[in-house]
Amino acid sequence: MIGMVKKIFGVLASLRTGIWLLFSLIAMLLYGSLIMPVREEFQALHTTPLFEWLYDSPAAVTWWLFGAIVILSLLTANTVLCSIESLLRKRSARNLLLVISPQVIHIGFLFVLLAHLLSSYDSFQGMGQAAKGTTLQLPNGSVAIIDDIRADIDPAGFINDWSADVRYMSGGKELAKDSMRPNSPSFYDGIGLYIKTVRFEPFPVALIQISRDPGAPWALVGGVLFLIGMTTLLVLKIRMEEAVQ
Amino acid sequence: MQALTVISGLLYMAGFYRTGFVYAGLLCQMIYMAYRGMALGRLPIVGPHDTLFFMSASTMVFALAVTARHKERLRLLLPLVGLALFFTALSALYKPHNTPLPPVLKTFWFESHVALSFFSYALFGIAAVFGGLFLSVKDQYVETLQYKAILVGYCFFSTAMIFGGVWAYLAWGTYWLWTPKELWTVILWLFYSLYLHARLRQWWAGRPSAILGIVGFFIVMFTYLGVSLFMKSSHSF
Repeated sequence: MIGMVKKIFGVLASLRTGIWLLFSLIAMLLYGSLIMPVREEFQALHTTPLFEWLYDSPAAVTWWLFGAIVILSLLTANTVLCSIESLLRKRSARNLLLVISPQVIHIGFLFVLLAHLLSSYDSFQGMGQAAKGTTLQLPNGSVAIIDDIRADIDPAGFINDWSADVRYMSGGKELAKDSMRPNSPSFYDGIGLYIKTVRFEPFPVALIQISRDPGAPWALVGGVLFLIGMTTLLVLKIRMEEAVQ
Repeated sequence: MQALTVISGLLYMAGFYRTGFVYAGLLCQMIYMAYRGMALGRLPIVGPHDTLFFMSASTMVFALAVTARHKERLRLLLPLVGLALFFTALSALYKPHNTPLPPVLKTFWFESHVALSFFSYALFGIAAVFGGLFLSVKDQYVETLQYKAILVGYCFFSTAMIFGGVWAYLAWGTYWLWTPKELWTVILWLFYSLYLHARLRQWWAGRPSAILGIVGFFIVMFTYLGVSLFMKSSHSF
């Protein structure tokens, strides 16, 4: 039994396993990218959390995503075990930063996977047209009222910018006031309000998207860690190169 | 002003005769991009004309830097000039995109996402050329140069992906969209991750990793041009 566990550990902690897992993952995503544009089922994936969509969709279109999830789970175990093994093996190395920085990159990658896991489970997206005074129901029970819709149109007739004012209310009590414009959404209680586009005829109307993406902060943490690790590793490698020369 | 694109192409061709012409070609490219940037009031990196031209100039900037201290500079530089020339010629096939940008594209995150992506594409292109050179001349130094180009390109590409995620979250409410373009971007990132890990193993070192570096650039070109041309995706040029 112990021999068996050791064998499994040995396989999972191997770089060779990591390389073949990456190959398999690429193959799965490649297949997915080919069927995605031709199957209508994928349209719903933009507005439904991944796990809910997987549950509702036929296996003929989802099997590659299940495969990718299994491979990613194995890759997570492989990344963790390889990192631990590398840290233990090189703990007495002279340049510790050179040992740690690849592991920081790995941790960043794991945070991004965690972000995807959270988003796949509990994200929300809704869209609707709203005129001045429209009340939008938010997933946390409160409401958002659109107060004003504006646009900045240049002399040639192109719309340079647009924005809308919003008021958050709950039980008749005003909670907050904010405004939103492209690339600058309004956030309240983890929910984002996005103004996608506007129309002024016959009266001002904005296309508003309501989003909640619980994985986003973790993805940012992962991205920052990844960049820190990557930059450190690059700088160290350049310094080592210069020292050799 | 568009004549500058033709002049830069001709100067690159003359670069096969003397290296000085390569610098002149790059200068013409810079002037053309600066002119377009000032005329449009933004970085000229929207649409295939501008992006291919930007990629050509980026290839030349990195090529000159990478080969600067090399003894046999011409042997390394000339194939890279050929690559830059190819992108310049390709960009001439497309019309420049001169209309104002929609508000959602007017952000630092978009500009940096695109610029960093094309820096990385240029470096991956350089790496593919070095991979080809290594396979023909079997010089280990060239293979090391390929690895370095991929390592720096991977850094730029990862940063571009992170910036793209921040932009997507601020513009569309999610850092990830299920489109073929995003999937191919991840395929590309995974492929170069695979290269960097595989090269650590003895079996993959040398010829196999050089081939991986070449294959990677075909994935780059498909991710950049192929997905937009052949696949229905909301995320295109």
